[in-house]
Amino acid sequence: MARAVTTQRKIINTAAAWAVGLLIFFPILWTVLTSFKTEATAIADPPVFLFFDWTFENYKVVTERSDYARFLWNSIFIAGGSTLLGILVAVPAAWSMAFVPSRRTKDILLWMLSTKMLPAVGVLYPIYLLFIKMGLLDSRLGLTLVLMLINLPIIIWMLYTYFREIPGEILEAARMDGATLRSEILFVLIPLAVPGIASTLLLNFILAWNEAFWTLNLTAAKAAPLTAFIASYSSPEGLFYAKLSAASTMAIAPILILGWFSQKQLVRGLTFGAVK
Amino acid sequence: MKDRLQNWLPRLVVAPSFLLVLLFVYGFILYTAYLSMTNSRMLPSSEWVGFANYTKLFKLRSWDTALKNLAIFGILYIVICSALGLFLAILLDQKIRAEGVIRPIYLYPMALSFIVTGTAWKWFLDPGIGIENTMHAWGWESFHFDWIKNRSFAIYTVVMAAVWQSSGFVMAMFLAGLRGVDNEIIKAAQIDGASGFRIYRRIIIPLMRPVFLSAFVVLAHLAIKAYDLVIALTGGGPGRATELPATFMYSYTFTRNQMGIGASSAIIMLIMIFSIIIPYVYSETKNGENR
Repeated sequence: MARAVTTQRKIINTAAAWAVGLLIFFPILWTVLTSFKTEATAIADPPVFLFFDWTFENYKVVTERSDYARFLWNSIFIAGGSTLLGILVAVPAAWSMAFVPSRRTKDILLWMLSTKMLPAVGVLYPIYLLFIKMGLLDSRLGLTLVLMLINLPIIIWMLYTYFREIPGEILEAARMDGATLRSEILFVLIPLAVPGIASTLLLNFILAWNEAFWTLNLTAAKAAPLTAFIASYSSPEGLFYAKLSAASTMAIAPILILGWFSQKQLVRGLTFGAVK
Repeated sequence: MKDRLQNWLPRLVVAPSFLLVLLFVYGFILYTAYLSMTNSRMLPSSEWVGFANYTKLFKLRSWDTALKNLAIFGILYIVICSALGLFLAILLDQKIRAEGVIRPIYLYPMALSFIVTGTAWKWFLDPGIGIENTMHAWGWESFHFDWIKNRSFAIYTVVMAAVWQSSGFVMAMFLAGLRGVDNEIIKAAQIDGASGFRIYRRIIIPLMRPVFLSAFVVLAHLAIKAYDLVIALTGGGPGRATELPATFMYSYTFTRNQMGIGASSAIIMLIMIFSIIIPYVYSETKNGENR
């Protein structure tokens, strides 16, 4: 809605909007700032905001601990792996739904998407027991598979919405020229859908990176990603306040960067398409 | 033969995804339902006990607490997020300068893991190092804020952190709704002399009913599923004061080895979610047919 607004009101509104923005951003900002303080400054009385001796000491200490690198690598492996695997499974399905829809396609899609709303506890036991049997507990592979499965509906649905924007005639023309399905998807559809696929990758990577229910329940030490690492620092007693801030900052840095570019996809993905 | 294949191919390539979802979601839910009717403890057992686990579950005090907490948390979370989200959306709709920068800032918390949110808020709310300590340092000695350590108030700290995480995202939903309102209607109302406030109250907000419904469904399912935030923020404590159904389910199975009862609590949560999303999905498909 666009309406004429007086200049004075506009300034007040803008100031209010920025004030709220600062308030919302403050916890993130504070965490990032604290990560550059010494432990003593971090719990200083009264707290210091900006004017302290900036130090990278915390980052050095945290990264030098070999286990941090392992958590990071697990996060990258699990989030990246489940995303790529999910896309591989989802592209053919989304292709079929977008270009050769049947009467039931819309319903199937909605049904699939609705499963993403179900609580994970409903399938925790079977997956847990299956993991014990197959020796997948606390393994990166197991977690990758589970995250791929739980995000599959969202991947299919997002790809579907992007594929639908591509005119089907182009694919048909390729088929007329004798392209097989494989080359039709690989060489015609995918190049045309690169932006859509990239958005889907981005959203799914963030979702998988942030996932905590499964990572906490299915991993112990070997395959635990950063979410589990942060959760394990449960004592807030101020001992490693600055170091924990540094670890958190490193855990959220990729999200802070990716989040800026993918807010639209995040809103779409998290509202299951209610916001287009 | 080849034509046949061509016709079947599209169905065939959907099949793996379809079957995966069917098996891993509904198949596994059925198995959980089966477990909830057996005498399973540490390991699954096939001894059939019918609904005994459910009767036991509803006699448990900690399950009672979890349900009460869910009611408090769910209602406050949905109401506050919707109200704040709507307020922020209207604020951003006033031709704010640099809106393109503010919007992502509002949305940032949502991009973070609930684990990070919970950990950050744990420090802020901790009386020793957080807000209380800061206020004392600034000379406000009588400031007192120890809800996170207080059995009767700890659940409200979970609400605070969750609202912080989700309000911006609800804002985005409402903003999209506001932008979707037909300008002609608003112009007509302005010509009739309606004030800005009245236009929102009488025209725009009623037109956004579908957005309210979507926001409700999204927030409600997030509330019922809430797990990681509680784990990171309070760990279900102090004591069991902030236990929610999902954390209850976890602690009851893995620390007490009561798989049967845990499974029955999972099924109750599923029923809650289904009772919200089935009508929603149904109405969505209905609308789709009309379009």
